Amino acid sequence: MRKKLLDILACPVCKGDLRLEVKEENEEEVLEGFLICDNCNERYPIEEGIPNLLPPELRDKL
Amino acid sequence: MKDRKKFRQKFLRRLPTVYEVAEDSELLLEAAMEEVKEEDVVIEIGAGSGFVSEKLKGKCKFLLATDINPHAAKMCKEKGLEVVIADLFRGIKGKFTLILFNPPYLELEEEEKVGDWLEKAIDGGRGGIEVSVEFLKQAKEKLKENGRIILISSSHNFERLKEEIEKLGYKFEVVKKRKLFFEELYALKIQI
Repeated sequence: MRKKLLDILACPVCKGDLRLEVKEENEEEVLEGFLICDNCNERYPIEEGIPNLLPPELRDKL
Repeated sequence: MKDRKKFRQKFLRRLPTVYEVAEDSELLLEAAMEEVKEEDVVIEIGAGSGFVSEKLKGKCKFLLATDINPHAAKMCKEKGLEVVIADLFRGIKGKFTLILFNPPYLELEEEEKVGDWLEKAIDGGRGGIEVSVEFLKQAKEKLKENGRIILISSSHNFERLKEEIEKLGYKFEVVKKRKLFFEELYALKIQI
């Protein structure tokens, strides 16, 4: 996920802004980490460069 | 009984099943290639294997692929696409000039529902149009001024979908069609 993508992503639960917590990155993009909602503190994982923005109830169900 | 169903679903969901390219995918590709412009800010909802988005790369200013299926998202990523796992537009803010979607549009019987990823890709909900209608409701706020949506529809439920499109205040035209054995597929260009 390129960091710029944050501009068009928001918390699927409360629509709050997301901040990035990087665990692993290269020059181009974030590979592993989390997107964290500033408003409700929900955490969305980034794995293998792909952010998962499913709300927690869908993430566990699916 | 419920536990077995849940177990089977969890097992099936681990299988990397992704919707395989079919005539509806090709129809969306044809319509999208004719519609896309260099200045377009594009999102493809339910991009699946990335078949359509891959061909649009470089033909527009910005392109984001999404899918609810993590296996599909992985295939998109392998094609060099920017991709997020998301349920329709939930989690996506910002507006787009071109929105593409080849939706699930079958109406499945309860017995046909096994809970695997293929089902998510083909089950259109009530009347086969529930997912398309929800998509159109959410898309309204995600369209830039004069933005366009290309949505694939089947003759099986096109009349029902047409009603909903009009109820939502959109106008549409059929920009491409493809006749199959049991149905006809339409690529609809939908605008506010």
